[in-house]
Amino acid sequence: MHPDFPLPDVTWEPARPFWEAAARGVLLITRCEQCGRLVWYPETPCRYCRGASLSWIEVSGRGRLFSWSVVRYAWIPQVADRLPFVTGLVALEEDPAVRVVTYVVDCAPDALRCDMAVQVVFRPLRYPGVAGEVIAPLFTPA
Amino acid sequence: MTTTDWGFANQLEDVGGEIAIVGIGDSDYSKASGRTTQQIAAQATERALADAGLSAADIDGLMYVPFSADQFDAAAFRAHFGTTRALWESQKGGGMVWAGSAPYDAALAIRSGRATYVLNTFAVAWATQRAQMVGGPGQVHAEDEYKQNLEVPFGWFPQPVYFATIARRHMHEFGTTAEQLGAIAVACRRHAGLTPGAVMREKPLTLADYLRSPTIADPFRKEDCCLISDGGAAYIMTSLERARDLRQPIVAVLGVGLGTSHTGAYWSQQAAFTATPQVFAAPGAFAMAGVRPRDVDVLACYDPFTIVSLMQIEDMGFCAKGDGGPFVAGDTLHFDGGALPYNTHGGMLSHAYVLGIAHVVEIVRQLRRTAAAQVRDASIGIYGGYTGPQASTLILERR
Repeated sequence: MHPDFPLPDVTWEPARPFWEAAARGVLLITRCEQCGRLVWYPETPCRYCRGASLSWIEVSGRGRLFSWSVVRYAWIPQVADRLPFVTGLVALEEDPAVRVVTYVVDCAPDALRCDMAVQVVFRPLRYPGVAGEVIAPLFTPA
Repeated sequence: MTTTDWGFANQLEDVGGEIAIVGIGDSDYSKASGRTTQQIAAQATERALADAGLSAADIDGLMYVPFSADQFDAAAFRAHFGTTRALWESQKGGGMVWAGSAPYDAALAIRSGRATYVLNTFAVAWATQRAQMVGGPGQVHAEDEYKQNLEVPFGWFPQPVYFATIARRHMHEFGTTAEQLGAIAVACRRHAGLTPGAVMREKPLTLADYLRSPTIADPFRKEDCCLISDGGAAYIMTSLERARDLRQPIVAVLGVGLGTSHTGAYWSQQAAFTATPQVFAAPGAFAMAGVRPRDVDVLACYDPFTIVSLMQIEDMGFCAKGDGGPFVAGDTLHFDGGALPYNTHGGMLSHAYVLGIAHVVEIVRQLRRTAAAQVRDASIGIYGGYTGPQASTLILERR
């Protein structure tokens, strides 16, 4: 595991544009250059057409909360001081088959509903024992 | 939703009725014990050999999974038993999905004469190793670079969180309730209470206890999640002809199925989010066996979480998709009169977390009619194996 775990390794090539864009408040997702479908995660070959190359495109940051969990137990010690937290999946407006893993913020857990409209916000992620921070796309009710 | 847009059925040759499981062995099951994986597998193997009435020198085929460096491979087998004979060795054995599919590969090896008596083992010492988060259930996920970079930073880690998210969506789509998930946990605990060696044998659980307990990854409570254990098991396979000369009642391999998801262990992206690759595995196994779900007397599924039991029960065709919640409610899964006796040893929730191999041993025991929580007149039993990327269906029949 890389030394900044559980922060991302923003130099890891397959997701480097995702983190660079997040730092300037933009959400990028990969699209298959062969079939044109959004493909997530950013890995080749394309799961739809076996295409070999992906490009990054900007998406609206609007979507629907596909599902989530309210986590109250720290399976890794670095998240202990965030408990409870809401982590889940957002299905993007551009293609709901793309589900972005995210924290849901600024919302009481009791108010969460599957398929509720959400929108991206960019916030710093920090974890105890790990130097620095990373700006990340989180989601909040729209 | 069609079932072809997110995975496929692996094409298997018909091996129905060619081999039997002739020896079974459990290790001691425990919390942290200081034992090693190989010590555990060796103990289970000794017991499986004794059960079959065979000696270590009879074994000429060995199956395991190279899942950790310390599995019971040919070198470990020879070192433990002091044997020198050549072994057909396959890494398509072990627990999880492979506890169900190993009989397929063993049948091909036995058919072709590469082996006559094939041993499959799996063991873990994760309760002992857990303190270091080394070799534990989360490690393989923590080491995956896509998960490290696109899941873990957002707290979506490890497996209880993945499957809590799946359970929440299942509740949304189908109206599944906490009481229904709890019915699975309660049935498993009751069975463990009757089963010698089960880790949770002395810990009764009622539905009221379940509902009173706090959620740890909503909607999951602790009791929705499997144990972390030290333990393992082993089973020995041979041709049906040889099985007739051995001491135990014949438990034949009637059908095997295998299914694969396109999205592997990236559950976040699985198109059929509330399904398992059992939708691809089970039909082939039932076709090979020539039986239907209604013919099944006892079922055991790889059950890391209650929702994984519920989804496999749906996906194998024991009820319609989405009806799993009402189906499992009440006493449906109980050994003594339930419509579908399920994980009659307690499963990974309450017996031990040894990743499915003890489930196969339990099904064999049920078909021999020597189980602790014995299903009356059990003749056809099924194991549903699962890893996420794949599922297997193993149909066994008492002959």
